[in-house]
Amino acid sequence: MSLNMDAARQAFIEEVAELLQSMEDALLALEDNPADNESLNEVFRAMHTIKGTGGVFGYMPVVEFTHAVESVMEEVRSGREPMSEQLICILFACRDHTSRLIEAIVEMGEDSGKPLSSDLIATGHDLLKQLTQRTLQTTNITPNTPEQPKYLPIVSDVWMIALDFGRNALRNGMDPLSFLRYLGSLGDIVDVVTLSVPPPLNEEFDPESCYLSFRIAFRSDADKPTIAAVFEFAEDDCDIRILPPDSAQDTYLDLLASLSDTQVTRIGEMLVSIGALTPNELARALAHQADERNTDAISETHSEHTANQRLGDILIQQGSIKPAVLEQAAKTQEAARAKRQDETRFIRVDAERLGHLINLVGELVTSSAAIRIMVERAGVENMNEVVDSVDYLVAEIRDNALQLRMVPIGESLSRFRRVVRDTSKELGKNIELVITGGDTELDKTVVEKITDPFMHLIRNAVDHGIESPEERARVGKPVNGTITVNAYHDSGHIVIEIEDDGAGLDVKRIRAKAEAKGLVKPEDTLSHEETLRLIFAPGLSTKDSATNLSGRGVGMDVVRQNIEALRGSVELDSVLGQGTKITIILPLTLAIIDGFLVGAGRDQYVIPLSQVAECVEMKAAGEMLKPHNGHYINLRGEVLPFIRLTELFNNQHTVRHEHRESLVVVRFGHHKVGLVVDTLLGELQTVIKPLGKLFEELRGIAGATILGTGDIALILDVSELAMIGQMKRHHSDLRHS
Amino acid sequence: MAKTIMVVDDSASLRNVVCIALKSAGYDVIEACDGRDALAKLTGQKVHLIVSDVNMPNMDGITLVREVKKLPNYKFTPIMMLTTESQPEKKQQGKEAGAKAWLVKPFQPPVLLDAVSKLVLP
Repeated sequence: MSLNMDAARQAFIEEVAELLQSMEDALLALEDNPADNESLNEVFRAMHTIKGTGGVFGYMPVVEFTHAVESVMEEVRSGREPMSEQLICILFACRDHTSRLIEAIVEMGEDSGKPLSSDLIATGHDLLKQLTQRTLQTTNITPNTPEQPKYLPIVSDVWMIALDFGRNALRNGMDPLSFLRYLGSLGDIVDVVTLSVPPPLNEEFDPESCYLSFRIAFRSDADKPTIAAVFEFAEDDCDIRILPPDSAQDTYLDLLASLSDTQVTRIGEMLVSIGALTPNELARALAHQADERNTDAISETHSEHTANQRLGDILIQQGSIKPAVLEQAAKTQEAARAKRQDETRFIRVDAERLGHLINLVGELVTSSAAIRIMVERAGVENMNEVVDSVDYLVAEIRDNALQLRMVPIGESLSRFRRVVRDTSKELGKNIELVITGGDTELDKTVVEKITDPFMHLIRNAVDHGIESPEERARVGKPVNGTITVNAYHDSGHIVIEIEDDGAGLDVKRIRAKAEAKGLVKPEDTLSHEETLRLIFAPGLSTKDSATNLSGRGVGMDVVRQNIEALRGSVELDSVLGQGTKITIILPLTLAIIDGFLVGAGRDQYVIPLSQVAECVEMKAAGEMLKPHNGHYINLRGEVLPFIRLTELFNNQHTVRHEHRESLVVVRFGHHKVGLVVDTLLGELQTVIKPLGKLFEELRGIAGATILGTGDIALILDVSELAMIGQMKRHHSDLRHS
Repeated sequence: MAKTIMVVDDSASLRNVVCIALKSAGYDVIEACDGRDALAKLTGQKVHLIVSDVNMPNMDGITLVREVKKLPNYKFTPIMMLTTESQPEKKQQGKEAGAKAWLVKPFQPPVLLDAVSKLVLP
């Protein structure tokens, strides 16, 4: 038996020599042409055969060594790993080592169980180490085209992905390779380095555990969330770090710089929102941070800032982001914080609170007036000075308080741009909206209330004012129509003009319509202006008359009512064929009024000072034109209708005594009317108290106010009074004619 | 050789859609109508992935996962749960039982194939 074995052993040694020789030849051939498959197979076969036969003879050192080499060759043969110069070098050394192993065995002869010399063992280990380490460095999942071997990847456009699989990954059904394959479908896996080395093969080693870690260089256009989604299912069993390429860094920097202030939140959330960080990475970093905080909770308290810093450091440490991105994120955050601090110059205040404050200021104004009256009545002269200064301060407080509610009108005007754009497009017109004086300020409550009437006027201008482009071309106007909105302050009022260069209003048609509706009689003579004003009359403001009247009739009475309800007035000017101009005059605020106090009969009334034109003595004013009803007066040659307040409100003194009456000439728009009063009590500034619901229908009264004396005065609504007067005159005219 | 996927759902129509999608992508498919059926059909088979519904008669998906994890031949087989948005707690339960992949119903076949291919390629 042993003899046979000896012969067989001899045959084996000879065979090995042959195999190693052919391996050497093949390696030399591979050195010239690494793609030479035949030579590759030759090397593989040599190692395979030596391993196989060596096993039969029980030459375990040979088997172990050749097995390792064979495995590497298998990788190369299957195309998973490229043949490299370095590998050929190692293979030469392996071939030599195999040869020496065999020699050693031959020397040992029968005692093959004897341990090898330490020198040989060391060489073997060294070679295996070289082999495996080299394998770790260049194991490549996707075969590369041989003529274009990939060396160091260009760092700038390559994602670096680190996967550290947990021990349970395999037990949970995770197949690391399938993730890598799937990753390959998103782009080009440039390189994969397998890092983890399993523990020594002793009882610690668990074959069911996963000891794999990968470092992957990955080239892809996919974004970070997409790449992170590849490993979605592995999240529990794998430590995943995805470091974007330099090119993506630039994208992140841009994104960070362009984040709007509202998007600037905490640093982690910002990074997640731009995709630089996956929620999973953030959660891990936060958990890490929490851990650290728990461990050194006693040592110090963390401000938000240091906490942020540390979160950023953790993120960099765990390889989730690059320092440049963190820097930019911090910068963006800082900028937003600075801006926010800047914004704290503004305080948002509940409009209701502001309204309450303004009401209180109004009361203060009243009280201060009361003090003045008391002081004057008591004749405490040494108090005059202090009362003066209180008055001054109260006036300042009032002005400042009202200022709080002032907003530029531009914001609400600019929303009409859209209206004009949409409506004109719909109608096939070319209309430009020009807004000037947008920074003119007025009370927010006024702004809110004029939006609707404004919308109406603008729509009318677009719809019916401006002609179609064809029509405009026909009459020789520029094809593009223009609507101009201009706002400016004028002595305690805001004036808003809406002007269009459209067709204008046809006075004749308005007249005809008004006559048809019975608003005017055919024999009435009306001025151009008066005729135009007819379109504000309720009867004329019907939809079906819109087209007849170039649409100016649409809801114009509603517009007028709305504006007058704000103690404002609306004026109209139009030239047929040239355009229409609507002027709206509004008080700057609704809360406080500069008034003129008058006495009539048993009561006192306040007339808005801005509407008072002049005061004249009734007797001096001129003779009555129609003494039988006394409703017109000749004021310096001008016919002035007037209203005797005591008649209107029926509150004459029970004991009638002769007194001088005064005429207060008030104007609204371009019109004037006289109010006959008993006494003139002077200017005052007063707070308007709206009338209760019960009195809402009361015409001619805008509100009430409490005087410094504690008396109540009614605030007159001049334009309504004038209308009432007109109706009264109309009735009496009918009676007397 | 094509990879085999077991589809477990009590809805025949859903199984049908999933089967057609998986087969078109090149997988072999075994169908089961509930957890018990699935366990029975696993014997003597080689299945590379189990895609299972949660709510099923006889044996629900969570129990199925626990049972599958006890089978020596299948303890490493990945299991994908089909969950619904309304039951986020089921996903957690499934994860704890050992189903590490999930898909929220309703889903489009491409989404299913995408998710499946993260675990096994055909």
